[in-house]
Amino acid sequence: MNLRFIGAFTWYYGINSISRGPSYVLSAMLYPLVFLFLITIFSAGKLIDFAVLGGFLSIIATNAIYGSADAAFQRIQLKIQDLFVATSLTPFDYTFGLTFSYLATALPGLLIYGIIGALLGIFSALPLLAFVGIMLLLLVAAMSIAVIITGLIKHVRNLWGVISIVSVVLTMVPPSFYPYVILPKWALYLLMISPVTPAAMLSQGLFGLEKMPLYALPVLLFETAAYFAIAMRMSGWREK
Amino acid sequence: MRTIIEIKDLKKRYGDGTVALKGVNLNLTKRLTTVIGRNGAGKTTMMRILSTQLMPSSGKAVVDGLDVVRDAWMLRKKLVSIPQEASPMGFLTPMEHLKTYLIARGSTMGQAAKDAENALRTLELWDARNTPADELSGGMKRKIFVAMALAANAEVVFLDEPTTGLDPLSRLEVWSAVKMLKGTVVLTTHYMEEAQELSEEIAMVDHGECIGFGTVQSLLKKFRGMVRAETGADGAKGRYTIGNTKIRYVKLRDAEHYVDEGYTIKPITLEDLFVIRGVELES
Repeated sequence: MNLRFIGAFTWYYGINSISRGPSYVLSAMLYPLVFLFLITIFSAGKLIDFAVLGGFLSIIATNAIYGSADAAFQRIQLKIQDLFVATSLTPFDYTFGLTFSYLATALPGLLIYGIIGALLGIFSALPLLAFVGIMLLLLVAAMSIAVIITGLIKHVRNLWGVISIVSVVLTMVPPSFYPYVILPKWALYLLMISPVTPAAMLSQGLFGLEKMPLYALPVLLFETAAYFAIAMRMSGWREK
Repeated sequence: MRTIIEIKDLKKRYGDGTVALKGVNLNLTKRLTTVIGRNGAGKTTMMRILSTQLMPSSGKAVVDGLDVVRDAWMLRKKLVSIPQEASPMGFLTPMEHLKTYLIARGSTMGQAAKDAENALRTLELWDARNTPADELSGGMKRKIFVAMALAANAEVVFLDEPTTGLDPLSRLEVWSAVKMLKGTVVLTTHYMEEAQELSEEIAMVDHGECIGFGTVQSLLKKFRGMVRAETGADGAKGRYTIGNTKIRYVKLRDAEHYVDEGYTIKPITLEDLFVIRGVELES
């Protein structure tokens, strides 16, 4: 694992780019903030805690997905991937570099949610640590799913449409912004295919918003490992 | 003479059934070799296989003693490959591009900064080092990639059509940079004057096959003492016809006669090998 590359790429492509393209920062926090606003209004404030947690999860997953879309863009349009294939880099280094770059642009959004969560008294120290762990697992899982899907795309024109669909299916449909218990069991199990679902269930349990569904932890761990393994196999790093 | 790149019966068939290479055999021994051919001839496929970006279907390719399939990880430490039509990442500056690339190749931050500075200064990109690539001209964008190759100081450098789309001045700048590269250089082009200007050895690829190999002089041997006479006039005769242009290859001493008949006389270049090959294949 080339940590130096991941760090340098995150710095140059992520952090340095914030000042050159601030729209990324705004777009990363736009959807979750709109959801926070709408959920708060329509639930008369009752579901605001869920909306804050959902915002965190949504930012993490969306950024991982957009990072992978960028990888596809660099492969298809800029032909940059080939440049890196012929170095000592692995697809793992490259994908993590891109994902962390996008995560850097998401940091201001996460900070805002952190402040809102702190003001609402949602967060406490110990669950917060576990929550960070859940978000890291979600980051890897979402990135892997996006790598699998974007790896199949041959034309840039299709990329943005597919990414929008993946983003909605992975982040908006699962119970990230609403209590998981209101879903019928069959729907909950069906939505488990998205790692956002077990991540949201665990988060809601951690902060006492719902009963702690411990069975969601092995599901999240398994999905992360499985999606990651499939992604590395299907990344098309060295074209066949 | 030491063989730097050895290619034996190299074939490539893509998933959609397209056969890009039909069994190429080549031994490259010189410091700067150009692979020339028309669009779709198989040049890029060959370069991508040699630089470990693409798996061959069959055959063998050895670069600097290392097999491109079996020893890919070791080989990647020795080579630089600049893909065809590669574009820089718009937000990143030339300095950031070079540092990122050198770190990807295993350099430390300090070494990467030093090597990047040297290369940017050599290619006169230093003043633009902190300008996002989106704000640079096409020539400067392309030079970023040549600077990467220069800074990497690799033993083998593959450049796939490094000057496509560049204006004449930018092309000259890139040519000058290519001449500065220290390792063995293999580049592809469909600009014949580029091949003649830069190469010690030329491989001609057409329809997935190597149809000629040698120095410019040896490849053009059969045209010795001849010139190209061409005309677009209706009713004119030509041995070879491409579109509306009729082409004949005539002895230099007869050139004046053809001028009188309305032909334009041109010196023989590598392009003429493709004219003959193309027309023969079509007929």
